[in-house]
Amino acid sequence: MGLGRYIRAAARSAGVVLVLGAGTGVADATHTGLGDTPRPIIVAQLGPVGNAENAVGTLIVRRADGRVDQLRGKGSLALYEGDECRTERASRAYIKLADGTQVAMNEETTFVIRSRTERAKGATRIFKMLGGEMWMKTQGPKSIEVETPVATAAIKGTEFNLQVLPDGKTVLTVIEGLVEFGTPFGTCPIPASSQSFGERGKRCTRPAKVDPAAATSWISGVVTQ
Amino acid sequence: MPSRLRRHVLWLMLAGLFTGCATAPPAPPPNVQNRIYIANESGNSVSVIDANTLEALKTIPLALKGAHDMALTRDGRTLFVSNLLSGELAVLDTGTYTVTATLPTGNRCHSIALTNDEKQVWVVNIGENNVSIIDVARLRVLGTIPSVGKLPGHIRFSKDGRFAYITSQEDGQLTVIDTSNHQIIKTIAVGKLPHFILPSPDGRYLWGGATGERHVYVIDMTTNTRVKTIDVGPKPQHIAFGVRGMFGPFAYVAVEDANEVVVIDARPNELKVVDRIAVGAKPSGVSASPEGGRVYVSLQGSDELAVIDTGTHRVINKVSVGLKPVGIAVSH
Repeated sequence: MGLGRYIRAAARSAGVVLVLGAGTGVADATHTGLGDTPRPIIVAQLGPVGNAENAVGTLIVRRADGRVDQLRGKGSLALYEGDECRTERASRAYIKLADGTQVAMNEETTFVIRSRTERAKGATRIFKMLGGEMWMKTQGPKSIEVETPVATAAIKGTEFNLQVLPDGKTVLTVIEGLVEFGTPFGTCPIPASSQSFGERGKRCTRPAKVDPAAATSWISGVVTQ
Repeated sequence: MPSRLRRHVLWLMLAGLFTGCATAPPAPPPNVQNRIYIANESGNSVSVIDANTLEALKTIPLALKGAHDMALTRDGRTLFVSNLLSGELAVLDTGTYTVTATLPTGNRCHSIALTNDEKQVWVVNIGENNVSIIDVARLRVLGTIPSVGKLPGHIRFSKDGRFAYITSQEDGQLTVIDTSNHQIIKTIAVGKLPHFILPSPDGRYLWGGATGERHVYVIDMTTNTRVKTIDVGPKPQHIAFGVRGMFGPFAYVAVEDANEVVVIDARPNELKVVDRIAVGAKPSGVSASPEGGRVYVSLQGSDELAVIDTGTHRVINKVSVGLKPVGIAVSH
């Protein structure tokens, strides 16, 4: 078994996919003596990202291959990279990621589960949020980002609520910890018990003090832990 | 020599050795000058060619599908590659030929451009009719610009950075975006299936090809109006600017269904076809060497890179690359 194949097999057993850089043994690769040792980077988990554990109403999951699964009430629906999760009107859902992070979806919310991989930093979980409202609570520092049409929230180990309005305007409420909130016009740290707005064509607003409980009252009855 | 003195001498010698190691100059970064990069769309890879010797240096597998367009940083050390089928951007360290990061942008990410300050990469997602804006330092998608046109094609910035231009293939128009607020300020009809665009060397004009027709068009970027349409032949693709000794600039247009590169005198008071160069099957991507003396053409019909000498307008070499070569980037 060649070294590249061995690494790929080992990665599969560990539940990861590899991108191999220079010198991977690919047939058409020429050699220059530069970096001919395979250097894998993790690009995505092959196994489930987490499980949907509760749905008040219906959680609709569209897989990367186009198939659709649903969860109604309590249960365990495995979620994978590339899945699009959607709640309709009067539906809410609760998801627990493999690393213990808790996610709740309010009604009329849609996001896609993706990831970025960097050789130096490893994998970052990305929720590409198309609309609606989500709550998230991590267990310690995590590499998680939430993209909205106008802004990105990078989580530093925290609890927060993010709402995307129909015009893309994004409302971030940090309950605990710190979130790095950015638009294409600038990035700013948002501390606990504060709120910031992201709007197309503008910097995110300065953090303003708020009562975080008001922003998360909707998670009652759907978060099971 | 007393043993204590010998120990002292030994310690001094060792200290000298370590001091010498600590002050040794760091190894210089690998040379990345004078290189040609070709995105192989069906090969899912990037070919690297030495521009001086035209030798193949490396084929970099991307582990993503549909390598299409590229943007190279000014220092030549970081190459961004859009992967049309995967909808992901690959980030390459050109010094080590390695993929250092991959990130999702949008459905069928098509073309890419670095902002003039190189702080952001704008990626056109043809499957979502939008543009993803990526922070280069953090590799985060910071936001999107929606509804930039149906089936958006290529993107380029004006030389002052105030405007972004995006072709809209289904609409047959060019969309102009104010980069200070991301608002669409104008659309310009340019013909069926407009694809590639490129500012002229002086930064005043934007040149583009309408692949659904036979012409290239020239936009005056100071007024955002079309000033000329030039018939070149069926399916004009990418464009590059070169010079012929004292003369120029000339626009070199890959005309895919004619298997030619058509040469246009690009001086504003001329704008006429002056030569046609047979290059091989299905020319697509075109780029010029920094000084403008060589024009590189990707040939999708034979998986080669053709090299044109602008002084003689002859094809002086062809180099094998990967399957279905498209975009070309050249380092200084």
